[in-house]
Amino acid sequence: MSTLEIDAVTKRFGALETLKGVDITLESGEFLVLLGPSGCGKSTLLNIIAGLLEPSGGDIRIDGRSMRKVHPKNRDIAMVFQSYALYPNLSVARNIGFGLEMRKVPKAEREVAIRKAAEILQIEPLLERKPAELSGGQRQRVAIGRALVRDPKVFLFDEPLSNLDAKLRTEMRTELKRLHQKLKATIVYVTHDQVEAMTLATRIAVMREGQVEQIGTPREIYDNPASIYVAGFMGSPPMNLVEGRISDDGTRFQAEGGGCDFPTPANAIGGLTPGRTVIAGFRPEQLFPTPPAEAKAVTMEVEVVEATGAETLVIGHIGEQTIIASVKPDQAPEPGETVRLNFAPGNIRWFDPESGRALPNE
Amino acid sequence: MSSAWITTRAWLLMLPLLIVMVAVVGWPMVDTVRLSFTDTRLVGTGGEFVGFANYTKLLTSRAFLGALENTALFAVFSVAAEMTLGVLAALLLDQQFRGRAFVRALMILPWALPTVVNAMLWRLIYNPEYGALNSLLTQLGILSEYRSWLGEPGAALWAIVAADCWKNFPLVALIALAALQAVPRDIKAAAIVDDAGPFARFRFVLWPYLAGPLTIALVLRTIEAFKVFDIIWVMTRGGPVNSTRTLSILVYQEAFSFQRAGSGASLALIVTLIVTVFAAFYIAMMRRSGSRA
Repeated sequence: MSTLEIDAVTKRFGALETLKGVDITLESGEFLVLLGPSGCGKSTLLNIIAGLLEPSGGDIRIDGRSMRKVHPKNRDIAMVFQSYALYPNLSVARNIGFGLEMRKVPKAEREVAIRKAAEILQIEPLLERKPAELSGGQRQRVAIGRALVRDPKVFLFDEPLSNLDAKLRTEMRTELKRLHQKLKATIVYVTHDQVEAMTLATRIAVMREGQVEQIGTPREIYDNPASIYVAGFMGSPPMNLVEGRISDDGTRFQAEGGGCDFPTPANAIGGLTPGRTVIAGFRPEQLFPTPPAEAKAVTMEVEVVEATGAETLVIGHIGEQTIIASVKPDQAPEPGETVRLNFAPGNIRWFDPESGRALPNE
Repeated sequence: MSSAWITTRAWLLMLPLLIVMVAVVGWPMVDTVRLSFTDTRLVGTGGEFVGFANYTKLLTSRAFLGALENTALFAVFSVAAEMTLGVLAALLLDQQFRGRAFVRALMILPWALPTVVNAMLWRLIYNPEYGALNSLLTQLGILSEYRSWLGEPGAALWAIVAADCWKNFPLVALIALAALQAVPRDIKAAAIVDDAGPFARFRFVLWPYLAGPLTIALVLRTIEAFKVFDIIWVMTRGGPVNSTRTLSILVYQEAFSFQRAGSGASLALIVTLIVTVFAAFYIAMMRRSGSRA
């Protein structure tokens, strides 16, 4: 259990600036997820923490100790790779114990550690097998086992679940979560999957073009995205973003092309000045159908209805803009209908269309 | 189109090639078998049927045993050296360094040279009067006087082994390099994090990916080495005192120098048999690596 400081880390590959100054401080036992699309620099950052890449500037500190010029083997980190990276001609047991074997840990001690890791990951019956004889999920368990036995200060995961099928991915996700709760380890986890990020992280750093766009708990990121980028990235389906204008008296929001017209919140929102163009952001699940007699906020022409089981997604447009509502299956309209929707209690986020940043909530 | 017609048409299209193949490969092979049981001479009257006489005579002759020994020595040492040098070169060329692409291209050069050119080149290097090797070794003080590398029975075979090795190790290096590039980056990174030293990295990270392709290279090179003819013919013609006479050289001498077509044919078949054993081994290897992939 250790703290990890990422201090103004930059990385340049020739003319390409992959990381433009990243600062993150992790408390002991935190599970940080670096989230972003491919090319945002998240894997580069992970490799710099591991020591597999040198930063162009800045420093990594583990337990306060600078990792500048420290070889990966001396950083007391363990890494789990997307492709599992098992040694093909070694048995599962030797794969798990390889790091200890290389560090000249006595055999008896090694075997105890291997047994323990195998027990935690429930792969004891597989110990004598070769990696080629294992399924994808089993290989990933072995790869995690290899990290576990080392009992490192920091665990690094590089998209460990993305080679698994959907069902296994969900199982392994739960297992990783359980593992983290049990071990209280400090973990940095890279993924482009926002569901993994939401479920696993104690904190998420959403990355964009080599910078941290927003860092916070999953709840903060989900409820209060700092920008249109984060709002669009988190949540499946993502947040609705409707462009419109604040009325000249400053009391109402009116969507471009109509279909959405509702009073601005009573508590003064900074930046919602009369006549200003803004983007209103609201989650699909914030919308619910409302009877004709009551006031409505949104009038949507339904195009597609998708049943997902627990809820039904209603996709349609208001004026020119497409939005999605998530409703109870028994409230689902038919395609072609016009439905009236209102907001359930909860925040509407406001964004500046120019900068893409959220307007302050006060 | 019916499938019968497709099959017929395919055979029709292949027919010209089949006729040529039978004429230039099939028939000579059958005729070689026939010849091997006769005492036919290259010039003169047709030979009589002599049964296995050619074979029994050959297999017990000192010429054959000497040639077999030379061939085996040549094959074992040249292939061993080529494999070792090839893998070492591949490991070097797999590193990151400035000018790597240039060196990689340069390395192919010896292999791309025609064997005859390579043989001539090495004859110059080994020349007893103005050869570069003599000059180098005397200037370094290793040698006190010039030697005739290709003229001494004890040295000629090893001189040829060196020349052959220089020409053929790039092929092994190329195959090994291709295999090394298939090693996943993640495994290399994992080994670094796991604190594996250079030997452990070679054994547990690189070797699993090298073993298959190298086996194929080994068998291919062994087959080639057992058939060796041109480089030796250009450099020494099997001499001095038959010290570099390999099986293929002996076949040539028997059939064309001594004009004994019959016994030359039986010798050729013996060499073919030996090479076939290696080839069968090679095919088995290919099947195994194929089914694994």
